[in-house]
Amino acid sequence: MAFKSRMSRTDWTHIAFLALPTLLFLVFYVYPVISSIHLSLHDWDGFSPRMRFIGLTNYTVLAGQPRFLHAVLNNILWVGFMLIVPTGLGLLLAAILDRGIRGEKAFRIIFFLPFTIPAVAVAAIWRWMYEPDNGLVTTVLNLLGLGGLSQNWLGDPAVVNLSLMGAVAWWTTGFAFLVFFAGLRNIPTECIEAARIEGATPWQVFWKVSFPLLWPSTIIVLGMSAIDAMRLFDVVWAMTKGGPAYSSEVLATQMYDLAFGRFDMGRAAAVAVYLFIIAGIIIMPYIVYMSRRVQDSEAE
Amino acid sequence: MASSSLAQRQTILTRTVLIGMAIIFVAPLVVAFLTSFKTPSEITRVLTIPSTFYWENYAIAFERAGRTFLNSLLITAPAVVLSLLIGSIAGYPLAYMRGPGGKLVYFVLLTGMLVPFQIVQIPLFFLVQRMGLYDTVPGMWLVHTAYAVPFCTFFMRNFFASVPRSMYEAALIDGCGPATYFWKLLLPASTSGLAALAIIQSRAIWNDLLFAITLTTSDNARPATVAISGFASSLQVEYGPLMASTVVSIIPVMAAYLIFQQSFVRGLLGGAGK
Repeated sequence: MAFKSRMSRTDWTHIAFLALPTLLFLVFYVYPVISSIHLSLHDWDGFSPRMRFIGLTNYTVLAGQPRFLHAVLNNILWVGFMLIVPTGLGLLLAAILDRGIRGEKAFRIIFFLPFTIPAVAVAAIWRWMYEPDNGLVTTVLNLLGLGGLSQNWLGDPAVVNLSLMGAVAWWTTGFAFLVFFAGLRNIPTECIEAARIEGATPWQVFWKVSFPLLWPSTIIVLGMSAIDAMRLFDVVWAMTKGGPAYSSEVLATQMYDLAFGRFDMGRAAAVAVYLFIIAGIIIMPYIVYMSRRVQDSEAE
Repeated sequence: MASSSLAQRQTILTRTVLIGMAIIFVAPLVVAFLTSFKTPSEITRVLTIPSTFYWENYAIAFERAGRTFLNSLLITAPAVVLSLLIGSIAGYPLAYMRGPGGKLVYFVLLTGMLVPFQIVQIPLFFLVQRMGLYDTVPGMWLVHTAYAVPFCTFFMRNFFASVPRSMYEAALIDGCGPATYFWKLLLPASTSGLAALAIIQSRAIWNDLLFAITLTTSDNARPATVAISGFASSLQVEYGPLMASTVVSIIPVMAAYLIFQQSFVRGLLGGAGK
């Protein structure tokens, strides 16, 4: 009996602890999402007292717009890029550094530093790097005798996305690097020693032993990269505002332009709902996996 | 003999790759720093070192954006503390609850991580206005705390789950209630996790542009990121003052990371890296 009342007191404490976070979640996630979906079925400029119901028109108009489809394509390219380039580069750097190199600590700090700086600082610095006449990229190419490769890095619609991706790779590789590096350090040395004694080459040791054991780190890096790619806004907005001629636009910047530049709230909300659906399809398996995996680790 | 020279060649190769990469990683930061001290006439010569420390760039940056740096500090420090608190009070019961109720709440809170902020942006704009918190610093505290719930819960729940359960059971036998256990024992024992999360949250909040650009409009609450974004994307960019304000915006989080990096890496391993 005494045991039972202790249990229920614990339960009540748990519920009391969860009350405020749950309330914030309801007010700042659930309510706005429902409200956006509602808004996307209307035509509204954000000021007038009445919203006009227009059904799915916003969605069908967007689906036929080259500007919208181009932004969707850009988002998909960004997801692919974020999953492969910063992740791969971070893994490579971590694997090299894990072999025990002099000055390891200095390298570790250098590779992580860019990740600590604000997106707008990345944008400001790389606008200067990419400055077509005097920027560092063009200057170095000229010095190397490769001046012919210089581009109008942020002004040419054919090049601008690659330029942005270069800046973002510089910015986010440090995160993947640090998580992989910590993961490699967590692998018991006996596993690696055992494989070495069996006569495995360093290459085989890495791919057959280390890499599979790195799975917890890999899943974190991939998940965070996909989430960041879908939410991508700051770097693009601060560097190009989606230009030139919408060529570097992603859904987030297009939505911001429609909502707070043109006050077409219903259309903007429809863009956001599309983004929500795409993000859900890509990221939901990850969330399910993460919530299950943690339960499993507890069961052990 | 042959194998040792092969190993040597490999070491030289890896060192070269590492040093090359390190230069690429550091060069933009160095160039930004040097540019911030150059006079307007020197600025176009990107590979040179400034002849004198030209502080004028910093003076201009502070004149235009000084207030926004103060706002960034006033927003970030309390919002980080609040978001750690909210993640801890949500993570604690979720780490200890048995049964489907806890799992369900945890899953629902985690789904918040996949929500692109764009879908909350317009309703949030009107919601914050109705609350009377538009363009205020406390409004930014509230918003940053609320949107930290999914990640901070995830992080602290995993960290608490790695704290030995025997500590909890011993405390309960000693007659310590579950709430007392949390405040008196669990939270003080979690400093490395909290420190790591504090760095992650400082970075997220100090660096935020999206919420700031949506919910602030004047020097009343506008943080430095909005001011710098405005400078950077204008048509005629003055790179001297821009780089000066960029350097100032970089320093706080970078310094925090450099000072606390040991506990950061440790906390990352104990929490999310498990």
